[in-house]
Amino acid sequence: MHQFIIAFARWVQSTHLGVGILESTWAFPYVQLTHFTGLSLFIGTTLALDLRLMGVGKKSQTAAQLADSLFAWNWLGFAIGITGGFMLFSTAALTYVANPSFDVKLSMLIPAGLILHIVNQRKVRTWGETTETPGIAKLAGFVELLLWLSVVSAAVLIPYFAAEP
Amino acid sequence: MGFSQWLQHNSFVVWVNGSVVTASSLEIIHYVGFFLLVGATAIIDLRVMGVAAKRQSATQLAEQVFPWMWTGLVLATISGFLMYASDATEYLHNSVFHQKLYLCVLGIIFAVIVRRNVPKWDKLPAIPGVARVIALISLALWVATILWGVDVPALTGVG
Repeated sequence: MHQFIIAFARWVQSTHLGVGILESTWAFPYVQLTHFTGLSLFIGTTLALDLRLMGVGKKSQTAAQLADSLFAWNWLGFAIGITGGFMLFSTAALTYVANPSFDVKLSMLIPAGLILHIVNQRKVRTWGETTETPGIAKLAGFVELLLWLSVVSAAVLIPYFAAEP
Repeated sequence: MGFSQWLQHNSFVVWVNGSVVTASSLEIIHYVGFFLLVGATAIIDLRVMGVAAKRQSATQLAEQVFPWMWTGLVLATISGFLMYASDATEYLHNSVFHQKLYLCVLGIIFAVIVRRNVPKWDKLPAIPGVARVIALISLALWVATILWGVDVPALTGVG
């Protein structure tokens, strides 16, 4: 598995995508823009729903109504974010896979966050029918909120864990 | 220059940017803050433009998520100010950074315009064309703010 990941990273880094972004003087900021715009849509709307599940903030909409409002752009944001993220990864794939903070982010935190995100989106139809959400919904919302905060933290910490050249 | 130098050497500014835990916390708060700010603003803008959440009332959606836009703005502004403060003298003549702040101010103005008018637009049989244009400008301003934000280190090497 480890060998496969290294081989994959080496290949990604050598493609036109990775090399092209690195060699261009203007592409890199636009790739970052893609990643951050996608994440704003995905994490911004996900946190709004988690907080609603927790019963924190306004209760103008039920959690079910809010989830329905956010659903399409929430996933579109995820798709945009992951596209930008993959392009960022392609510029230095070998360095990223060797970074402990990146590995924890990709192999544990994002999968856990996504699983709970899908569970919450399904359960919100019953949890969120009334203005007050049940205790289990509050807990699920809180745990998902913590997971996405950990994802952002792990991402921010990547440079701090970078191996000294 | 006097103010920038004073700010940069302020003991709290030096401390908060000085250790890994506090410096990375500032970055984390800045990202989470602007994700909330841009995510909440974008979904309201997209609703007004007629491409999101059509089954739900725009007014109720705006009431539900707009407070998170302010929360995000406060988090991003405080953390952003403290990061700026540690390099205040370098940002003094950094035009890309100044443009980012202007875009941000315009974004806030447009967000307030959208929020104030949503209940009025919502009562009409269809959301008027001018409202859709205002919402599109609001959305574009925040995307531009992010672009200028990533351009500060990319073009000027500061940050």
